Formats: sequence, C-alpha cells, structure tokens
Amino acid sequence: MAAGSGPCLLAVALLAAAWISDASSSNGQAHGSQQYVNCMPCSRTYVADAHVGSLARQLSQHRDLTEVPDTADLCKGLADELDVPALSEVHRQLVGEGSHRRLIYSVKFGNSKDGMVQFLDGYDASLVLIEKLPRGVFADPFELQHFVERKVFLDVAVFGDTNLELPSALSNWSAVEIHFDLKPSTSMGYNLVIELPLHARYPPLDASDYATVEFGSPDLLLRYRRKETHPDSCVCVLQNLDATPVEKAAWRIPCGDKAHTGFVSSLTFISALVCSMSIVLAASLTP
Amino acid sequence: MATAALRWRVMAASAALRLALVAYGEWQDAHLEVRYTDVDYLVFSDAAAAVAAGGSPFERATYRYSPLLAFLLLPNSLLHPAWGKLLFSAADLLVGLFIDAILELRGVPAKARVWCVVAWLFNPFTFTIGTRGNCEPIVCAAVLWILICLMKGRVLQAAFWYGLIVHFRIYPIIYAIPFVIVLGKKYVGPAGRPVLTQWSSKQQLRSDKASEIVEEPTSVLATLWNFLSSLITRDTILFGLFSGSMFFAWTGVFFYLYGWEFLNEALLYHLTRTDPRHNFSIYFYHIYLHHQQGFSSIQRLASFLPQLIVQFALIIRFSRDLPFCMFLQTVAFVAFNKVMTAQYFVWFFCLLPLILPWTGMKLRWKGLACVLVWMGCQLHWLMWAYLLEFKGQNVFVQLWAAGLVFLAANTFVMVMVIRHHRHTPLFSAPARPGTKIAAKRE
Repeated sequence: MAAGSGPCLLAVALLAAAWISDASSSNGQAHGSQQYVNCMPCSRTYVADAHVGSLARQLSQHRDLTEVPDTADLCKGLADELDVPALSEVHRQLVGEGSHRRLIYSVKFGNSKDGMVQFLDGYDASLVLIEKLPRGVFADPFELQHFVERKVFLDVAVFGDTNLELPSALSNWSAVEIHFDLKPSTSMGYNLVIELPLHARYPPLDASDYATVEFGSPDLLLRYRRKETHPDSCVCVLQNLDATPVEKAAWRIPCGDKAHTGFVSSLTFISALVCSMSIVLAASLTP
Repeated sequence: MATAALRWRVMAASAALRLALVAYGEWQDAHLEVRYTDVDYLVFSDAAAAVAAGGSPFERATYRYSPLLAFLLLPNSLLHPAWGKLLFSAADLLVGLFIDAILELRGVPAKARVWCVVAWLFNPFTFTIGTRGNCEPIVCAAVLWILICLMKGRVLQAAFWYGLIVHFRIYPIIYAIPFVIVLGKKYVGPAGRPVLTQWSSKQQLRSDKASEIVEEPTSVLATLWNFLSSLITRDTILFGLFSGSMFFAWTGVFFYLYGWEFLNEALLYHLTRTDPRHNFSIYFYHIYLHHQQGFSSIQRLASFLPQLIVQFALIIRFSRDLPFCMFLQTVAFVAFNKVMTAQYFVWFFCLLPLILPWTGMKLRWKGLACVLVWMGCQLHWLMWAYLLEFKGQNVFVQLWAAGLVFLAANTFVMVMVIRHHRHTPLFSAPARPGTKIAAKRE
C-alpha cells in the first residue's frame, strides 16, 4: 500500500515545489532582490499539502501545471515594502559512516541583525526545507517526529514511500519537508544548522560492491505571516529563497553481488541440513 | 529458612536492579545521542498513543503485534512513558518466581532453585531486554504459567493462556504437539491428578524410547496406532478445543475491530516474513541475493525442511520431559528461523533454568566451554555486523559466514546439552498392573 501510494504523494510534493519555482519566475512580484512566490492559508501546514488536491487532479487529467488557479490574490496586503530575509550562504554535508548518516545544512541569512530582528518582531517566520531523497535512502518519520516533540523542528513530514523496511529495489522515492522556526534570538546570529537523520536501504545487487546514491539540490523556502492576524483570515506567504546551489552529496552503500548467489545458497542449505542432522543424531543416540 | 530469605533477597535485588536500569534509561534517553530504549518500545508506545486517541494501533508503521500489547501500554500515554518498561520488568521478575515454583513442584532443593532463579534474573540479556522496553518477558511469563497449570492439572486454565499467548506472539505454537502428548493417557495418575516425577541427585539416564520399547514390544504400525490413540483423551480434546477457541476468539475480535490490517500485520506478516536485512539468521544473505527475483518452491521447502526435521525429532524423543523438550525446541526454532534477532534468545533463556538441575554438565569446564563458544560466535557475528552497518564496509560474505558459524555454535551447545541431560519425564507414568514397568517398580 505504502509503496503504491508513495509515488503519487511524492510527485505531488515535488510538483508543488516545481510549481512554486515556476510561479516565482512568471507571476511573482518583484520586491528588491526577492520575489513573492505564493500564499496559502495558515491552516495548511505543509507546502506540498497545500497543493495536493489541485495537483493530483492535474496529474490525472494530464493538464499543464501553469493551469493551477492563481492564488496571488491571497497575497494582497501582504506584499508591503518589507526587508524580507535573504540567504547569503547555504552548505550541505553528509556526515557519518555506514547505514545511518545525517545531512547537515548550514544556512546563513545575509540581512543585518537589526533587519532580522525587525522582521521577526512583526512576522512569525519559519524556514522550510524540502529534501528530495533518492531511492536508496529514507527518513524515518517517527524518528523525525521526536525532533518536533523536542522542539528541534517546528514541524516535519515525509512524503512518498515511507516504508522503513523495504530494500531499494522494492521501494520508491520520498521527500522530507522540515519547518525550522525562526525566532528573534540573537544567540544564533541567524546562522542555522539543521540536521536530518537518514538511513540506507539495501541497494539492488551489483558486482561493483557499492552503490552510490546522490542527492539533488534541496528547496529552501521562507514561510511567514503577520503576527497579529485573525485565525480565520490568516494567510502565510511562501517565498522561494533561491538558494545558491549546494554541494553535491553522495553516499556509498555496500551491496550484495549476484555472483555470490550459487555458493551462498547451496552452502546455506547444506549447513542447515548438516546441523539439523547432527541434532537428530544426538537425540537418537541419547540412551 | 535461610534459603527462603536468600530467595527474597535475590528477588529484591533484581527488582532494585531493574528499577535502577529503567531510571538510568530515562536519563540516557534525555542526555545521550544513543538511546537506551529499544526502538520497538517507541513503536509500542506510538501504537498505544494511537489507541488512546481513538485510532488503530496499526496506524503506527511497523507495529506488528497483537493490539492487546497496545492496550496494555495505554498508561504510557496516560500515566508515564516508562509504564511499559516497569510492566515488562515486573513480568521478568514473575518469570523468576515461576521458575522457582516449577522447580519446587519437581522437588528440586531450595538452594539449587535459588541458583536457577539467579541464572534468569541476573542474566544480562534478560534484565536489559525488559528494562529497554521489550515485551518478550510477558510471553516468557505466560509460557511458564501454562507449564505450572499443566503440572497442577489445570488443563482448562492452561488452554486459556495458551490460546491467548499464541495469538499474542505465535511462536509458542511449536509447543502444541508436546502439550498434547503429555496430556495423553499417561497424564493423570491413579488419583485422577498428574503425578510429577521428583528430582533426585542420582537419576538414571532414561528416555521415552526406552520406556516405550519395554511397554510396547510390538510392530511399528501398532506402536504408532497405540501412540495416536493415547493422544485422544478428555484432556487433550478439552485443551485443543479451548485453546483453539481462545486463539480464534481473540483473533476474531481484533479482526472485527481493525480488519485486514490487523491480520496482515500481526499474523500473516510473521508467517511469511523474509528479511533481506542482516540478522543472525543463516538465510539473510540468501534472501537478499534473491529479493529481486523471488524464491522457487524448492528453495522455500529447503529452508523450511531442516526446521521441520529438528522440531519433529525433538518432539518424538523428548516430549515427555516437557521443559527439556520446550527448551531444545525453542533453541532450534530460533537457530533455524529465517529471521533471528537477539530478543528471541530470551524465549529459551527463560526455559534454561528449568533444565539445569537435570544436567550432568559441570560448569567447569564443559559448561563454561558452551557459554564461551556461544558468546564468542555471537560477538564474532556482531563484529562483522558493526563493520557493515556502522562503517559501511562490504562484508556481506563474512557476515553470512559468521551466521553459519553461529548456527554451528548453537548446534554444538544443543548436542552438548542433550548428551549430558538426565532424561526425566515430567509426569510419572501411572502404574498399570501387568506392565513390566509397574512390575519393576514394585
């Protein structure tokens, strides 16, 4: 079931991100070096979730993504002159060894400290990170949920194939959406470090001993809303931060070799038979 | 009196140790990166939270247990997250008490019983498993309680718990045939109650086979007929029907509540489970190498046959020495299973103290050799598993070979235990006038 519905959900998530990027270039309103991307009701938690319905319909009808109803009117009144935070640096690094590693993102905002404080005084803002995971790795949504409980992340969701046990050959793509709370805290100096724990799936068999899994570029968005808003009319602005391309991350995962099949299978069965016969013999010879 | 005081001191020390470990676990989880708590415990807790919120425990991915477990852990959400660990540790202590009770019923002296209880309560595998939040101690306690019920002649109660525990964890189904065999015609003595064979320091090595031959010197077919007809008694029919009804009743109730999700996750998954990820089983690499194309019928049969042969051989030879038979069956079942993890070892650790008073193996040196071979082979496997999982080295072949070595170690230990065991039927055969056995005894 998960494997079946996974690709649809993931496609929706990825297309949502793609749509946002498209919208920023076609319909976006220029505002300094930034572009407003879109707006969504605050009741919708996830960026991808906000577009699930319409995108799913379009996918089933093979319609063009540009036919998505424009929600720019939702942004009216929010597009005031603002010194919206912009990213100056983004780094991503795959850390650790073996099957359990972490993607560590270092994000630096280019705004002055005062500008950030001023912005965060008037707006609740969070950094939204969408990482598209290749087939060979997965994020455990339950493990990530504990990060939310410990208030490390504001929110988190995994879209796509969330089955934690299947090997790569039987699984599909997934994507993680992390919301990181931006608070008017001076201690951080607005240099954020976000850790995303990931786990390797067993890769398909290959004679080269190792399978390499490569990560594409993540999407970084700023999600913000006015602090004093009525819950019914609350609208969040989503802005693509147009992050500079991050370093490529690659993960080498050991894989089984099909050439081993013959001797592994035969020796496994012979060992099982010999051991079982030894036990039967010992039992029979008991006085 | 002194040994009674010692026994309670052992229980109190065990309880204190478990409480301290649960408290330490809370601290480690809060302060260190590596959690003390078993990842399965988080799964149980999430499932219990889903039930508390009015949902299904199967909303939690990888929850593959009876919903009863989620119900038992409801206080995890309502009272304290450590509730389940305390419950499992209490079951752990209960197993200690049940070991003592079973050995007492079998006439083992108090001092020897204390050592047997210590072998369970202070086994590092067991006290860490319960305090890390693994539910196996509950299953162990239920299995031992069923044994006590059978020893006391409480067939219906044994059937109740047996049906329930097979629903809860499935693997105790392997005890079904030995239970039926002991409940056969030789179950009750002249007084209408089972008579337990009492422990003696100088028992004769004697097996079922020997007694069967003396009693039934007829053809193979006639022996088989006599054996099968001896299985049809009021007790066996009651046990079979009631335990079966219990199993289907619980399964039916949860199927009604949670539908196919329950049946697929909690039952069918365990029957068809093949895990390509590394585990102690010798089959893991074979499964991984075939996971893209599937398995032929011959391969399925080949991996099932050794398990089947060993189970039947052990049942045929040792079923009347019930605790010994259950111990060997469980070790073999785990050793030849297609998936083997360390938590399964608890299944036979709880039965080990029940056979210790009947072993002729001295701790020095044969006993120690068994322990060291078993532990050494396990550590050897863990070393390769560490290199694969935490260092990312391609050591699949070495790890698979280490699995074969561990199977050899399990086999070695089983053969040693069989060779040094003083075979003693759990129940004394009722003296029937005219038989050679009866005449000999008189």
